[in-house]
Amino acid sequence: MAAVPGGRRSGSAAGAHFFCTAGRGLEPFLMREVRSRLAATQVEYISGKVFFTTCSDLNMLKKLKSAERLFLLIKKQLPLNVSSVSKGKIFNEMQKLTNDDPESWLNAISIWKNLLELDAKKIKLSQKNANSLKRKVGENDIIAKKLKTEQMQEIQENKECQLEKQIEEETLEQGNFTTKRDKSQEELQNDVAEAVDTHNQNDLTFRVSCRCSGAIAKTFTAQEVGRVIGIALMKQFGWKADLRNPNLEIFIHLSDIYSVVGIPVFRVPLASRAYIKTAGLRSTIAWAMASLAEIKAGAVVLDPMCGLGTILLEAAKEWPDVYYVGADVSDSQLLGACDNLKAAGLKDKIELLKVSVIELPLPSESVDIIISDIPFGKKFKLGKDIKHIIQEMERSSHPFPGHFCGLAYPPAVLGTGALAVNRTELLPTWGWHSSVGRQIMNKSTG
Amino acid sequence: MKLLTHNLLSSHVRGVGPRGFPLRLQATEVRISPVEFNPDFVARMIPKVEWAALLEAADTLHLVEVPKEPIQGYEHDERFLREMHHVLLEVDVLEGTLQCPESGRLFPISRGIPNMLLSDEETET
Repeated sequence: MAAVPGGRRSGSAAGAHFFCTAGRGLEPFLMREVRSRLAATQVEYISGKVFFTTCSDLNMLKKLKSAERLFLLIKKQLPLNVSSVSKGKIFNEMQKLTNDDPESWLNAISIWKNLLELDAKKIKLSQKNANSLKRKVGENDIIAKKLKTEQMQEIQENKECQLEKQIEEETLEQGNFTTKRDKSQEELQNDVAEAVDTHNQNDLTFRVSCRCSGAIAKTFTAQEVGRVIGIALMKQFGWKADLRNPNLEIFIHLSDIYSVVGIPVFRVPLASRAYIKTAGLRSTIAWAMASLAEIKAGAVVLDPMCGLGTILLEAAKEWPDVYYVGADVSDSQLLGACDNLKAAGLKDKIELLKVSVIELPLPSESVDIIISDIPFGKKFKLGKDIKHIIQEMERSSHPFPGHFCGLAYPPAVLGTGALAVNRTELLPTWGWHSSVGRQIMNKSTG
Repeated sequence: MKLLTHNLLSSHVRGVGPRGFPLRLQATEVRISPVEFNPDFVARMIPKVEWAALLEAADTLHLVEVPKEPIQGYEHDERFLREMHHVLLEVDVLEGTLQCPESGRLFPISRGIPNMLLSDEETET
């Protein structure tokens, strides 16, 4: 591999280079996730982004739960030096991003195309299966299951049987919500169609999205930078700019810490879940909380203030062999939760109760795990009520090693904190105290 | 409300304590719908089941083929597991009531969701 001045190029034997944006505090979760789900290597967290390398395909990448957006990495370099006097000099520096190493750009784009083409083949295959199953999907799961087993047997020998199983599971379990899935399939197919259309590099249309932060943002607007880069790209590669519906989107972030360039892999952020109709708590946080609770198969999991059920939805998708119960005092929230469960095809996995958290109608020690987004401050009085809530949670759940995982809003802190605490060390006083296994995460604001 | 959930619920009317379990079930609308059979999951739920409560509830709903108790080696007995799967997960009470056996307090079930909220007076010591 030729020496590259600064920066990292995409693609090698170890896999392709990616980065994800993550909400503040979720980076450790994301790093853990890419390692375990994608067997990622070269995992780095730098200022709101997690960089990693992996051979995984789009199907696996799509499964990331604690990331905001996923990008294929084109360049990651030292930050631009903006202490120079002339703006023109800095523009030159920016142009170097595109001109210095055109190979890395073309390399990344071909990887991007490959990823999308591979995925399109699988989508075509799954659509064939979906069409033959479409009439059966709906209330009548039994017949669908039969077909599934038949098809499973057929494709046992097939090399790609792993992937097909995944696709079939997805198509079958989301019978009610084909519209949403079709939509995202459509989007992916559009992506691929666009990628494939451009045999000729010159036919590629593109758009630059630019973000500037830190010292650079004081001197330049994102639009200026976007324009400079855009023109440089047109000159370098002969691409045409299309601001409405480009084939290729280029994402640039210039900050005090780095200059990063990437291609967004999906049009829709990973954080926006196809299976959640109406989000309450941010999906990434909900998933992270559920992951802290160490849910095991056969557990009884309760969210006594479930609202729209976001935490339970995320948990049920990830850990399906578990009995989930959601409770809330509000009719409208329960209705919304019910809707969400239907839309996600999880009505059979999650039960709902109209119940008050300070008076749980559960025998003592009947629940294994309690997870909740606790609304401190506004709805509840500080002190006494919180104490009751915690006492009720303690009473109804198993003693050690049960886990208690709550999203807390300590009044003194602007951001919010979440805590996974070993239950026996939970102190009944206001204010969260440190203990073994404490993890704090901040709610992202974007 | 599935019977597995009913098996979990207890009356929390003041002073009732453990005599608040199990809640007496009355159903005016029940739906039976197929749920994907997961033998592992069912096997793990069996040890948590309060059998007397389950049998009582199943009886009220006139369900047949309800095992009276866990059998030896139930983890591998598919027929047993399927019967339990049906009773615990495929029977959904949409409308009805749950009654506290000690105080007589009625809790309505509406659209499949039991309303267990107590009034302020009921929660006062």
